[in-house]
Amino acid sequence: MVAAKVLEKASVEALDESALNEEERDFVAKNSKKRGAAGSPLKTIEREEVFFTLTDAGANAKAALLAANITGEELGSVTTSMLSSGSWKRASFRPYSLNTPPARLIPGRRNPYGSYLQWVKDKLCSLGFEEFDGPLVENEFWNGDALFMPQFHSARDIHDVYYVKNPSHAKQIEEPYLSQVAQTHENGWSTGSRGWRYSFDHEFTRRQVMRSQGTVLSAKTLPHAKVPGKYFGVARCFRYDQVDATHGADFYQTEGIVLGKDVNLKTLLGLLKMFAEEVAGAEEVKYVPGYFPFTEPSIEVHIKHPVLGWFELGGSGIFRPEVTKALGIDVPVLAWGLGIDRMALMHLGLNDLRELFTPDIESVRMRRGN
Amino acid sequence: MPKIEVHENLFNSLLGTPYTDEQLEAVFPVAKAELDGHDVAEKLYKIELNDTNRPDLWSAAGVARQLVSYRDKTIARYDFFSTAEEEIDSGGRRLVVHESAALVRPFSIGFAATGKVVDEEILLNLIQSQEKLCNNFGRKRKTIAMGVYRSDMITYPVHFEGADPDKAHFVPLHMDEDLTLREICAKHPKGLEYGPIVADKPVFPFLYDDANEVLSFPPVINSARIGAVEVGDEHLFFEFSGTGLDDLLLAASIVACDCADMGFTILPVRCEFPYDTDYGREITVPYYFQQPAACELGFLRKMLGDALSGEQVVDALRHMGVFALVDEKMVYITVPEYRNDFLHPVDIVEDVMIGHGLENFAPELPNDSTVGRITEEEAFARKVKEIMVGLGFQEMMYNYLGSKREYIENMHVDGSDYIQIANPMSENYEYVRPSVIPSLLESESVSGHAVYPHQIFEVGKVAFLDDTDNSGTTTRNYLGFLGASSDMGFNQLSSQISTLFYFLNREYVMRDMADPRFIGGRCGKLVSKGVEVGIFGEVHPAVLESWGITMPTVACEIDLDLLK
Repeated sequence: MVAAKVLEKASVEALDESALNEEERDFVAKNSKKRGAAGSPLKTIEREEVFFTLTDAGANAKAALLAANITGEELGSVTTSMLSSGSWKRASFRPYSLNTPPARLIPGRRNPYGSYLQWVKDKLCSLGFEEFDGPLVENEFWNGDALFMPQFHSARDIHDVYYVKNPSHAKQIEEPYLSQVAQTHENGWSTGSRGWRYSFDHEFTRRQVMRSQGTVLSAKTLPHAKVPGKYFGVARCFRYDQVDATHGADFYQTEGIVLGKDVNLKTLLGLLKMFAEEVAGAEEVKYVPGYFPFTEPSIEVHIKHPVLGWFELGGSGIFRPEVTKALGIDVPVLAWGLGIDRMALMHLGLNDLRELFTPDIESVRMRRGN
Repeated sequence: MPKIEVHENLFNSLLGTPYTDEQLEAVFPVAKAELDGHDVAEKLYKIELNDTNRPDLWSAAGVARQLVSYRDKTIARYDFFSTAEEEIDSGGRRLVVHESAALVRPFSIGFAATGKVVDEEILLNLIQSQEKLCNNFGRKRKTIAMGVYRSDMITYPVHFEGADPDKAHFVPLHMDEDLTLREICAKHPKGLEYGPIVADKPVFPFLYDDANEVLSFPPVINSARIGAVEVGDEHLFFEFSGTGLDDLLLAASIVACDCADMGFTILPVRCEFPYDTDYGREITVPYYFQQPAACELGFLRKMLGDALSGEQVVDALRHMGVFALVDEKMVYITVPEYRNDFLHPVDIVEDVMIGHGLENFAPELPNDSTVGRITEEEAFARKVKEIMVGLGFQEMMYNYLGSKREYIENMHVDGSDYIQIANPMSENYEYVRPSVIPSLLESESVSGHAVYPHQIFEVGKVAFLDDTDNSGTTTRNYLGFLGASSDMGFNQLSSQISTLFYFLNREYVMRDMADPRFIGGRCGKLVSKGVEVGIFGEVHPAVLESWGITMPTVACEIDLDLLK
């Protein structure tokens, strides 16, 4: 009986198909299911045998591991228990891959533009300059009158300067400077000038504006300046301008003065040369006559920068006696201003002034100075 | 700064010899000019003039005159100027100013020119001179307005009066309609632009000839007939009206010299006033009104730092087209007819400097030894920045002007002590920043893409109203900082403040406050030595919502001037 014989054998252990004769195979085929044995006495089990061998590369790796004495039991992260128990002494450390991309960190950082301005300040300090500062709201007296800009000067127009709405006027202007400046405008006072020959407006002079030029701070420093003295400031200024890549609503100006009995045109040129080399890294320096309402003579300094080529680094001059004498100073005063934003942009790899004051955190985070 | 366009042909003929662009660039600084561009196709030089007190340089003839003087050491001579002592024959040409003009525009002067046919280049040059003189020097025609007319149509004398704006009438240039002066102000483009200069006066300026033919309504518009100068005209009349006689005489002198340089013969006109002027009641124009100027040689040498000889000084001035004499102590100059910018001896010093050549002055370093130092505020700010960076904050830098929306509406405050700009260019820059916090929140609102946590700070200036100050405002140095992340809150902020004050070596206590910018009970004032120095807290969700921020945010702001 084939059936009895097969079932008896199958109840002890699985039958090997290759060991059955044809009759038995036929019986098994008719009485088994491939999946789910329910309802049939037998089920078929299919087996596959797979053999692995090392390739040549694998064999080489195996040889290398054996040669390096690595067993697979190596340590991962160093743990406190590992250290306190000394278990690390009985094992070795698993080496890490050196080239896995590191995770990003967000460090606390200075703003590179701020760092650049600080560098300029430190540079000027190292050249013997003392820093000055002042309020953002000024009046027409300091913003223009004290600089001998006539009250009808086009740069003082409503389309050039921001007026403060309220309070529209300062309470008073400090004497004796108000009287001295007013007379200087009208008839030269005792400055040796003939003045602008118009009637000085004492109401207009108190009108308040947003500081439009850093030179305001130079003028305000004069009444209490030391002689000899060197001063500078990095002043936020405001102009009535369309905001674009080259004009900001507010921006920094770097300005200063040098007071001394013996300062003159040649020392002014020397000063400009020093700035050109020390602050701007200039390769060549060129001076040309310039014009500013408050200096005479006036000089522009142009430099050849290793990256930017030729450009105008700044304006300067000797303050007009109408400016200095009216503010109580009897020695010549060199006045200078440097356009450092252009170098700051280059330093930061930017080409749009608006970017200097961007609110975009990611942009500032990623910014590097050169 | 004035910019002019000059036709190559005209410029070259004025210079005598043509220059290459490189040669122009090299020599332009003598006139404080810059070559802005050279349109080869249109044959136009674009020139920028930097000296706003030298209107004589704002024309092709003016720049060329300065360059030629410098090159040839020549002084331009003009023989048509009357002086207080000597009057040139005006050939019966008169300009009569009537008493009524005093009510609106007290001065009008003029001269005529002939002997040269106006070509296109000259016409453009004249129009440009008019525009530069009247806009830049004449404050948009307020103090100087200039008109050019066809002299051969004029029956002298010319009359200038204050006329009834509703009765005086004529056909203005570029229109066919006969309009009263007031109608011109309302209808003509130039009336809309320049009418406001005289609109509030009882009478309007009116210029007409003895045959009652209208020349113009200065400073607004010429008539369509006598006032329409065209290519081919040969006889011109120039008129200048305004508020100050010196400025008008200078403008007339400049245009007369320019015309003479371009080949015109200048015909003087006697100008008669019904009232006294600095130069009498009858002035024959062009009129030389300038006073001689002088400078001590000692002062000049001290300013330049160079012991130039008297001869070198005279030579340098000659290069500038200025006639000079020296004695032992002084240099005396005759101010050129077309200039009026010698206010002080330093103005002579500068001309000597330019004429002698800047390259001939060797730079020297100032000898005086001085001590450099930063301000106390800057030193303290640096200390604060170092601690903030150590706490993991990114330093930001912001603009100091912003909008009502940013500083007031989004912050849910009334802004009653904020400084407002009276003439904002746009509503984006209408207020001065009263606090650093809106700047920090703006950052947060535009930085949702930046990996969190956000920790940012700024040390910068703020300003707001303060009645105790002379200006009614105060500018302060503030630290502001902000944190934003899903788990940012009061506790972390409190720890940061504590750490900051510890390393600044300042004591502080926290006091309750009610402030719409922060969540009640999770904010407070920082008080140091009995003085409120700052505020801090969890930013109120209503404020965050206004800014479009969806991340929990804390902020703190400290007045460093009070803490220092």
